[in-house]
Amino acid sequence: MSVITAEAVRALLLERFASSLAAKGLEPAQVPDDFDLLTEGVIDSLGILEMISAIEHRFGLAIDFEDLDAEELTILGPLCRYVEGKSRAATSGGA
Amino acid sequence: MTLSYRQMYERAFSLAATLDRVHPSPGSAPLTAVLAYRTPTAYTGILGALLRGHGYVSLSRLLPPERTLMMLERSGARCMVVDPESVPHLRSLIPRLKEPMVLLLPEQEDVAELAGEWPTHRILGRADLDVPRDWAPVPVEANAVAYLIFTSGSTGIPKAVMAAHRNALAYIDAVVDHYAVTEQDRFSQTFELTFDGSIFDLWVGWERGACLCVPTQKELIKPGKFIRDSRITIWFSVPSTGVFMRRLGILKPNRYPTLRHSLFGGEALPLEVARSWAQAASNSAVENLYGPTEVLCTCLRYRWDPERSPEECEQGVVPIGYPNAGMTTRVVDEGLREVAAGESGELLLSGPQVTLGYWRDPERTAASFITLPGEDVIFYRTGDRVRRPHDHGPILYLGRLDRQLQIHGHRVELGEVEAALREASGVDSVLAVGWPRGASGAAGGVEAFLGTVGADPELLRRKLAARLPDYMVPRRLHFLPELPLTHHGKIDQFALFKLLEEMA
Repeated sequence: MSVITAEAVRALLLERFASSLAAKGLEPAQVPDDFDLLTEGVIDSLGILEMISAIEHRFGLAIDFEDLDAEELTILGPLCRYVEGKSRAATSGGA
Repeated sequence: MTLSYRQMYERAFSLAATLDRVHPSPGSAPLTAVLAYRTPTAYTGILGALLRGHGYVSLSRLLPPERTLMMLERSGARCMVVDPESVPHLRSLIPRLKEPMVLLLPEQEDVAELAGEWPTHRILGRADLDVPRDWAPVPVEANAVAYLIFTSGSTGIPKAVMAAHRNALAYIDAVVDHYAVTEQDRFSQTFELTFDGSIFDLWVGWERGACLCVPTQKELIKPGKFIRDSRITIWFSVPSTGVFMRRLGILKPNRYPTLRHSLFGGEALPLEVARSWAQAASNSAVENLYGPTEVLCTCLRYRWDPERSPEECEQGVVPIGYPNAGMTTRVVDEGLREVAAGESGELLLSGPQVTLGYWRDPERTAASFITLPGEDVIFYRTGDRVRRPHDHGPILYLGRLDRQLQIHGHRVELGEVEAALREASGVDSVLAVGWPRGASGAAGGVEAFLGTVGADPELLRRKLAARLPDYMVPRRLHFLPELPLTHHGKIDQFALFKLLEEMA
């Protein structure tokens, strides 16, 4: 199994939220690394739980929700890097 | 941040006194709007409105500005308390207002800039706050409006439900002793203040001096951590929160020992969620609460019992149970005649929780708040289909009346299709709709949405065909990673109908 890159996660999320981002006048490429999906109103609290399970579905990865830092969880860059890190650990440790 | 009851009162008193001495513009309603989200001002603003003898109208910066503007204009409120976080959102709101407003920004040091920007409105800041010794809270009549809460009408045009003080008091009295609330209790505050679940969160706890624990927007993402960190004893949320927690695997046995009451309301409670929650919160009673906004927060309740309840559920959904003290139920057919025990019909409600109706909308009030032939009490027509129980059994929720369709002359219960979908797919989050829609409940067929991308459509179709008559088997199955939810956490049917329209 190959490593899921932060870019791949970013692409998934930007595609998923394309219409809400467009409504805010944002092109996918312009969305900054520190963009907070929650406080910017792109998703609500239940939407985040949905987003996590979408990432799990797409990449076949189990994310331990309780592990995630609530502050960073909804910020694009840290979230994508978290998933990449998780995937690296699974790939190197898994057999 | 923690506020004592005294601090809350002092802040609310000051807001009330300040607003009360500003002469209202002609034509203004006895209502004060509060544009604030999960900040102290959101709560002191509500209390301040009530202390000055006004009803409150909660607004949220998370809702689209168009909707907030509509709520504000429909309410007729001409004064508004605003928290600092919502001030940037005023720019998309204030220039579009037709009437002059009084804006009170109690934490804003300098309001000169805003005042210059909007000269037709009166802007008050922290410096304008008043604490007059000779001012006293304004007494109100029992029938005075305590709050307006907007609900989405089935036609898509929102209605503003007006609840009287006496309605709210009847509700609080009916539930506060039932849960034996004390000042040791710690209440969750999951519901948005624009949703009437918040009436329980605020008033039932405050009635007995309990602590109201308000999670931030960030903390709400992690309900499990919030329950544990805040040592919540009384939890109330939409069932969706339980559905997701179950899906995330954080409803493990005995994980939430501080809970002593776990309440769910706002939509149907799936049996599996009730079961898992009861195990995760092993010291807690689990209750399913039912009630339309028009009958104040919740008016029926059902307590989960691991032995008896699974048999009492229908279509995998927990019963809505028994009415609160003082409330009466009636299950009727199309001619408003009571149906026989065991039969289904529309649920009517009467009693002290039945609100005053829709604000400035006598027509729609008259259509939904009715008297029955030969009787003079007012019943609210819920539009919900329920099963009238035998003897002392619980009332079962079957779905919205408009969720019963006629397909080629066959009566189809969308809830039944959804129950089959859940069983066949193992997915909790499903929605069946009639499509294309015809007149008065007729539809061409059934289409279904499932919140999963991992299912095998052919296998699912075979399972459904084995269980449902032809005309009930969804003609198309639509798989989405998750189903869209409304601002209040319910499955967003309007969004899904829009999707079908786009596909047509």
